[in-house]
Order: sequence, then structure tokens, then C-alpha cells
Amino acid sequence: MRPFLHIEAGARTDLGRVRKNNEDCYSIDPSLQLYVLSDGMGGEAHGEVASQLAVQTVLTHCRQAENSRATPIFGESSPDVCERTNRLASAIHLANRKVFETAASNAAQKGMGTTVVAAWIDSQRLSLAHVGDSRAYLLRAGSMDQLTADHSLVAEKVRVGILTPQEADASEMQSVLTRAVGTNGTVEVDTDEQALLVGDFLLLCSDGLTRMVTDPEIASVLLTSASAQESADRLVDLANENGGVDNISVIVLRVAEKSESVFERLKIWKRYSA
Amino acid sequence: MSRLVLKFEHAVMKEVPLGTRPVTIGRAPDNDIQIDNLAVSNYHARVYLEAGSLVVEDLNSLNGSFLNDIRIERAMLKDGDSILIGKHEILVDQLNDAVQPQESWRKAPVPRVNETMILDTQQRRMLLDAAVAAGERSQLSPDRLRVPTLIVISGRTDEKEYRIAGKLTVIGSSKLATVRLRGWLTPDVAAQINKHDDGYYLGRGDRVPKINGISISGLTKLNDGDVIEVGRVRLNFLYRE
Repeated sequence: MRPFLHIEAGARTDLGRVRKNNEDCYSIDPSLQLYVLSDGMGGEAHGEVASQLAVQTVLTHCRQAENSRATPIFGESSPDVCERTNRLASAIHLANRKVFETAASNAAQKGMGTTVVAAWIDSQRLSLAHVGDSRAYLLRAGSMDQLTADHSLVAEKVRVGILTPQEADASEMQSVLTRAVGTNGTVEVDTDEQALLVGDFLLLCSDGLTRMVTDPEIASVLLTSASAQESADRLVDLANENGGVDNISVIVLRVAEKSESVFERLKIWKRYSA
Repeated sequence: MSRLVLKFEHAVMKEVPLGTRPVTIGRAPDNDIQIDNLAVSNYHARVYLEAGSLVVEDLNSLNGSFLNDIRIERAMLKDGDSILIGKHEILVDQLNDAVQPQESWRKAPVPRVNETMILDTQQRRMLLDAAVAAGERSQLSPDRLRVPTLIVISGRTDEKEYRIAGKLTVIGSSKLATVRLRGWLTPDVAAQINKHDDGYYLGRGDRVPKINGISISGLTKLNDGDVIEVGRVRLNFLYRE
């Protein structure tokens, strides 16, 4: 009973109703099953520069690594996670260096930075890596769990028990990040792994969604949409209806069973068992 | 007079004097030292005198007996040795008989409440809760390395014991699985364990696992000594030092 997973993706980024420019950014590589989302910061148009540079760097680095195992690893590898998860973290370390060096070489861009949340799926294993307060959620069998821990001041305070989650949601300090890509020469990247199941939903999103739409609302949209793209569109619309104070970006992944002929299955089975 | 001292998380729970008769250790109630824990076999080990030497012998137990952290089948004991069975420690206290009267002469006899202690369910629960709390504290201290371990109590798996390493531990028939389930129609991913900063969490897969007999409703933190049930497989989650 080995299901072959098919990942259906939908995504959207939106200015929101208050901001003048969209500093969010996302990119998807369907052939690699690599999904990256970022939320930039820094005045003028520099947040956009940071988020786009980070997303592009992550994609390029992972593609290179797929083609050549000799691609150097940036940052420290962890024995707790697989090679692919370490590669994803390496990509964010490289993105950090690139954003930091770009900012350092241009006085006007000093201090720009970005969040990054990235998911890479290898048959059944989901690799996750993130920095900042963009999130990954897993909706499985009706219950939704946040897979990422926000690197924000309020979230860190909740974790050590100084603030309640309710106080954190009401806090004016929500935007204070404790980690970001590109603001320092080095950065600590968090990683996680999950085994995916048919019926799972994975959501990557910027805080423009999660500050406007509650977790149960998000779950009900995911469960009642006809497609991943419809979910993504409805989530963005809902965030805008609720105020849309920030840029909103979402990537929705639906895990379905791959429909294949018995012949194809046998071929794959032979490859797996070889 | 020599004795064996049973300890659980540093608390003395029972003392047994060593005589000519062997002292048996196990989960069954007719043992001299009964340890009511699923990680302990019914007749797990015994300690006896042989030609003047004290000997510990493992009785082919499932999870083994450890002497000073080394798994043994049979070994000679000396004063101060520590036998580990499941989560319980048995200390060897070989007092020199000649010294004994002098000791009791110097000190007023201290009443030992532990000597007659019987472990009823409630006491055990209290001790376990205290141990869990102590365990959580000690996990935070960096000087003690505790290895999370899954011990198979029953069911068809590829190993009898698994050390958990890494962020993701899959229980199922999948290629990703650390705990590989055997048999027909076993789910690919029956359940999974994720490592978080503050400990290990059990989550559902194609099955809803139980912890200590209760079905989980979402990611649930695992405590030292928990019994996990996934389908027909039962696993004991333990932190080993």
C-alpha cells in the first residue's frame, strides 16, 4: 500500500488595501516540487529587492544542487535532518549572504531584509526551512498545526511564557522580528521534516494573511475549495475583506493520490524495489 | 549485611537484604523486587551469591539488564555497582559486617520508612508524575545527555528497540519509516514523531495513535515512560541516559 503522492499547487500574492507596494514574493518550481515564499522589509522599494533576491537565490541554489552534488553547502549541516532539508537550509544561508552583501554595497539599501519560508517535497518527505514570521501550516484530518515557530519578539515571549497567545495577537510589537534574512552576516535557519499523507494540505503564507484571517477560517477555506488555486484566491480575498493592512501571499499545496495505470505502477514499483 | 536498594529517579523505593537465597527482579508480583513497568520482563533478572561472590544474571529479558551502563548477561557485583532495569536502578550496598555494629553504635538508628514501602497504584502515579517533572527539568540541563528510545512491547516490527535521532521519526511501512511495521495492509505512515525544541511530539498518520490508552487529538507531547499504541504495535517511549 504505497500511495504515490501528487501535489497540486495554487498561489497568489496581493498588495492588500493599505500598502503602496508589494514587498512579498513567492516562486514555485513544479519539477523540483520546491515552494518558496518571502516577505521583505526596508524602506522605499528595498523590501522587494530583498524578498525577490532571497526567493531567486533559494531556487537557483537548489536547482544547482540537483544537477551537481558538488554544489557547496552554506551554513552548518545538521545530523537531525536529511540531505535535502540541509540543502534547503543551505540555500537560505546563501540568500542571507547575498541580501546582506547587496545591502552593504548600496548605502540606500542598508538594513533591508526578508523572511523566507521554503518547502521541498521528495516523494513523501516534506522538508521545511524558515527564517522570520512567514509560516507553514499543515492541515491533516481536520486539525491544523503551525509547523514553523515565528522568529518574532512576541512569539519568543509566548514560548517562554511571558505573554499569552491572546496578548501576542493584540500586541503592537507583532512586527518586531528576532531573525531575518539579510540583516546580519550570518543567520540561524530553522528546519523541520514531515511525512505527507494523501488528504493533507500545506499552506505557506506571509503575516498579511495570518493577522487578518484566523486559523479556523483558514482551515475552512482549505477544506471547502474545489482546487488549491481557489483556496489561494479565497484566502487572499478574505484577508482583504478583513482589512488587508499588509501584503498577502499564500502558497496552498493539496496532497492527492496519483492516478496511474497498473502498468505504470508496476514500473515504479520495480524501480523502488530494485 | 549486604542489601540491594531499588531506586526510581533517585528516590529510594525498596531495600532487600541479601541472604543465601537468590533475589529475583521482574514485573510479576511474586518477585522479591517487583517493578511494575511494561519495559520490565516478568522475570527479568536475579542476584545471588556464588562461591562468596555476588552475581547478577539477566534472565533473557526483552530489554536487558545493565551493569554500570553496560548491557550484561551475567556479571560479578561489587559494592557501589548500579544495575539498571528499565528505568529503575538497583544499587549494590555491601556493608562489611564487622563495621556494622560500630556504625550503629556511633549513630542513633535512623528509622527507614523505605524499608517497608509497598508500591500501590497511587504512589506509583505520584512518583511517576514527580519523575516526569524531574525528567523535564533535567532535559533542560545540558550536562546530561538523554537519548529518546522506543522499545517495542508488542507487535510486528523490524527491530526491538529504536533510538530516536532526527526531527522526523515515521512509524509505518514507508521507506521513510524508522519504526518499520510488518504485515499486510500496514499503512505507509501510521504515525510520526517530531522533534521540537522542548521535546518530542506524537502526531497521527493514517492511524490515530494512543498514548497510555487514550487516542491523541492532534500533536501530543511525549513524556518519559509513555506507552504508544499504533494499530497492533505497542511501544514504550523512554529517555535513556
